[in-house]
Amino acid sequence: MVNIIYPMAALCLICAALAVVMLFSKDALTCAMSLLGVLLGTAGIYGMIGAHFVATVQLVVYAGAIMVLFIFSIMLLNLKKFGKDFHVLSPKFLLASLSALSLVGIGSWAIMQWSPTERAQWSNEAMLAAGGNTKVLAHSLFTQHGIAFEAVSIALIVALIGAVTLAKRKF
Amino acid sequence: MDPVIFTTTAIIAKILVLLGVTLGVVPIMVWFERRGAGWFQGRPGPNRVGPFGLLQPLADVIKFFFKEDWVPANANKFYYLMAPVIALVAPLAAISVIPFGSHIIIGDHVVHLQLANIDSGVIFILAFAGLEVYPVILAGWASNNKYSTLGALRGSAQVVSYEISMGLALLSMLLFYGTFNMNEMVTWQSQSLLGPIPSWGAFLNPFAALVFWISIFAETNRLPFDLPEGESEIVAGYHLEYGAFKFAAFFMAEYCAMIMASALLVTVFFGGYGFLPGMQMLLEMATAQFGLAEVGIQNVTALLQFISLASKVAFIMFVFVWVRWSLPRFRFDQLMDLGWKWLFPLSLVNLVYSALLTWYMN
Repeated sequence: MVNIIYPMAALCLICAALAVVMLFSKDALTCAMSLLGVLLGTAGIYGMIGAHFVATVQLVVYAGAIMVLFIFSIMLLNLKKFGKDFHVLSPKFLLASLSALSLVGIGSWAIMQWSPTERAQWSNEAMLAAGGNTKVLAHSLFTQHGIAFEAVSIALIVALIGAVTLAKRKF
Repeated sequence: MDPVIFTTTAIIAKILVLLGVTLGVVPIMVWFERRGAGWFQGRPGPNRVGPFGLLQPLADVIKFFFKEDWVPANANKFYYLMAPVIALVAPLAAISVIPFGSHIIIGDHVVHLQLANIDSGVIFILAFAGLEVYPVILAGWASNNKYSTLGALRGSAQVVSYEISMGLALLSMLLFYGTFNMNEMVTWQSQSLLGPIPSWGAFLNPFAALVFWISIFAETNRLPFDLPEGESEIVAGYHLEYGAFKFAAFFMAEYCAMIMASALLVTVFFGGYGFLPGMQMLLEMATAQFGLAEVGIQNVTALLQFISLASKVAFIMFVFVWVRWSLPRFRFDQLMDLGWKWLFPLSLVNLVYSALLTWYMN
């Protein structure tokens, strides 16, 4: 087994640097491109810890589809002038960063609550023994979380139909 | 030999072979594209530089290198320079998961002929195919030119719409194979369907193969779907402001993307590196002729498998050129009609058909 700590730390640092650029840049396109960089970097981290499926889905969904839409709309609307209104000490920005940080805090607290035995259940070795992580994920998604999965797909269809209805309205 | 050193050497060798083959095919394709155009249109084509004009790509490369490297004054320089790099990187990264043979045996080591055998190989390729839309958008926008921006808009709309039917076609095949792993797909397809006919994806589900084939034309921006560059309407589209080696990078990226897409098509629908008819006989003849042992048989098998994959990919590439010089360009609304009103619903129906067929077969 090759030691992946150092390359992973390097990737994390790159992601963090890009995230800082994304937060403090005044050019909307630069923000979007750095967010794309962060998403690619996290996909790399997922890949390194052996979660290939999550990594590729991250690339397909976020980098391949959602960010294309972001960048597309930034380019079409030419959002340059809004950059000047941005201030680091504005209450809106501070509030947003505070809530994001608390979300990260809650997440890491929840992960830390896990006991080592619970964690070992999802280790790479356990995944390989169960037939690879795509198989395990698919199995738990379509059996244990089947209803949640269908509920999400209905929610997405509702959102899609809503978007089409709103777009078709005559203004 | 130390196993770590051996593995590292093997990986580096595989990277070099993949890069060498992919980038080495590009000049041959450039030559064939232009000679083929002449052939299809009943004219000689380039025939002055070297025998049959074979040295023409070399002359082109020298020209690209010695032209002035120029950046338009009002371009966004960073993104302008980044676009050709992404264009070239995305397809080259995607090629890393294509298996080009089963394995060879060197000494007592087994070398698998695939750079990255990851569990979800097919989605990995789709992911990198999805990244190919960025160079188009970035190049078009950063050049700060109306025609380029129009090309970028067309390109991104087209790639995003055809990705859906491409994904659905692929999904219907995943139902048959029951795996994302490209090696297992090839093994699955090598079993017999009817006597000597192998159970290739294209025989089981010809419609999905057709949809996928059409979609890769749109994904790689090739005629009849080359609207992002459409010379007669928007000059050269998204790469209008690019010259010298930056243009060459876009040019190379187009051919690399074609190779990647053909390799994916072959692996999913045409049996991948599985033997072509007659190759088994060839293998037996070679075994009898040279008195090969088990190791030798495996290595010859791998060689034949590589030849099989290469000839299939070469055929698909030939069709790319054939179609380019036979069909006129679609109008943009026709392109969108074909994508959304025909391919998308039909591939949905096809997905249901494949699901029923798999359910029935099990």
